[in-house]
Amino acid sequence: MVSAYFLKRIYLSFATHVFDVPARLAAFLLFLLLIFFPVTNPTSQILLLLTLANLGAIFAVSWDLLVGRTGLMSLGHAVFFGLGAYVTALLFVHLGLPPYITIPLSIPVGVLVALIVGFPSLRVKGPYLSLISFAFPLILTGIIYYFKEYTGGERGLYGLPSFFPFLPYKDQFLAEYWFTLLLLFISGVIIYRIANSETGIVLVSILDDELASKASGINVTKYKIMTFVISGIFATIAGSVQAHILRVANTGMLEATISFIPVIVTIFGGIGTLYGPIVGAYFLQLLDGYVLGRIITIPPDWVYAKMLVYALIIIILIILWPRGVARFVTDKLEDLEEARDIDERGSKIWKKYKKKKEKVV
Amino acid sequence: MVIEIEAILIFGAISGASLALLALGFTLIYGVAEVVNFGHGSLFMWGAYLFFFFGPGGFLQLDLLWASILAVVIVAAISVIFYRLTIHPIIGDVIAGLVVTIAAALVFERLVLLIFGPMKQYIPTFVPGFTVIAGVKVTYSQLLSFGISLLLFLSLWIFIRTVKIGKAMRAVAQDREVAMLMGINTNRVYMITMAISGALAATAGILITGSTTGEAAAYMWLRPLVVSFSVVVLGGLGSIKGTLIGAFIISYAETIFVSLDPSFSYLRSVVGLTIMVIILLVRPKGLFGKRIELEE
Repeated sequence: MVSAYFLKRIYLSFATHVFDVPARLAAFLLFLLLIFFPVTNPTSQILLLLTLANLGAIFAVSWDLLVGRTGLMSLGHAVFFGLGAYVTALLFVHLGLPPYITIPLSIPVGVLVALIVGFPSLRVKGPYLSLISFAFPLILTGIIYYFKEYTGGERGLYGLPSFFPFLPYKDQFLAEYWFTLLLLFISGVIIYRIANSETGIVLVSILDDELASKASGINVTKYKIMTFVISGIFATIAGSVQAHILRVANTGMLEATISFIPVIVTIFGGIGTLYGPIVGAYFLQLLDGYVLGRIITIPPDWVYAKMLVYALIIIILIILWPRGVARFVTDKLEDLEEARDIDERGSKIWKKYKKKKEKVV
Repeated sequence: MVIEIEAILIFGAISGASLALLALGFTLIYGVAEVVNFGHGSLFMWGAYLFFFFGPGGFLQLDLLWASILAVVIVAAISVIFYRLTIHPIIGDVIAGLVVTIAAALVFERLVLLIFGPMKQYIPTFVPGFTVIAGVKVTYSQLLSFGISLLLFLSLWIFIRTVKIGKAMRAVAQDREVAMLMGINTNRVYMITMAISGALAATAGILITGSTTGEAAAYMWLRPLVVSFSVVVLGGLGSIKGTLIGAFIISYAETIFVSLDPSFSYLRSVVGLTIMVIILLVRPKGLFGKRIELEE
């Protein structure tokens, strides 16, 4: 009886919060599609591609919280990504700890670095902040090269263990895919909840007018540092998980290109939307690994043209749709939503629920 | 290890002058059009590659002077086209501008890989031979690079102060709307600024690669970009005086740091960046930054 009540409550809240909002319904259906995607029996290469897309999406969403919601234009987000990878790798290589221990251990280090990286944001703004944040991954790269007897220098650290060593080789890809998808879902929901809570409203107020929010008694310092810490934690997790999936941590994870990927992906999907980066990350991975190379085969001399085509697409898209592709779609969905009358909206259950509520009142 | 003070003084001055020239274009386009151009390092790289292409070891076999002039002119044209196609439609939107120039930098890198391949190309030295100044061996190409850099820097300073277009650039930098009301074609000013910026980057590319390593590679755009960041941010974005002083501070700091211990050369770029971070924390607008004004 009690369980039936709770099931009903869950169903009702699901119906009102997810089924009633077309954008959330679309996101939910996409998530279901991704969960059941392995039914089509894809090759392990495609699963790896999607696993990396999941991690890239976590990375990009964390960047979007920082930049799209709070307006702290960071161009050095790779510092967290590479840091996570190196912390877990160093803990494994020198102490022999398994990934289930090293990944949680990388989080406090990420918080510490987020405090350091976030500190300049209290003093500098706009393009200065972008340039200063761009410096941090390069500084970390220099440090890693300097301590090359511990960090492996240019070769990096390799031979990291996988998450599911007890499974057969083919199933590991499947397990990693579901694991990262779950991770993406959890971190996406957490970031979405933060961005749409009272804290999120404060963050947007800092983006709109920092002085006015200061004058309204908001502790801007606290919120800026907090955003850096939250964003840094998720980026660190993404980096450390990727290190274990690719079995390697090297300075390639700290390169400027890695910092630019969330920028490109987020702008493509729509900055400040939080779901846009996920769309963008999937688009990038599929375009980069599947469409170019499999559907359209390129001669080996032209392998460098892949990134060229991709960057050109980005330039054209930004000029055509400055607000992002995903937002273009949701604008259409919201137009549909507004076109219907409010009373007509929603399922029958929602109407029943509303009537009951009125009786109680 | 003995630190040679003469060597530090001379090599710091030589690299400082070329860094100033490199960063000048970056600060100019930010000061006038408020565009943070991530493609600046790519223009530097294209200068070096085109010089190789036209020069004696390359495909056209021109002599050095004509090859360098042709390379600089073509890079200026490329940068105008780059501005017209990518930055112009979204001017005023700083974030979109950042992303577009980043994407353009990637496009430039891939074009180099497609056209010239992943192998390193060797750039001819301008003048063979060396001289000894105060007991330090200095090649003629380094002296030439030092002289040309300072000369170009000075002539740009004079250009901005006296020539009509230079004055128009300063006017646009101070206030875009009022400059438009005074009958200045801001679009044309932006394009001229971009051409000058590209030409300066290409010149710096030819001079720096020609007088130091002599190698041109497809990933070489990142280090000049980072160095121009640290120089320009240290001196204050959009300030020409600050760029000159910032360039010398960074180059001396790097030279001293590397001469302390050769194994520190991994941390070479880190020095400039660390100085940049520290200075910004003390003075958030850089040493001479006055918001977006183009200082004299």
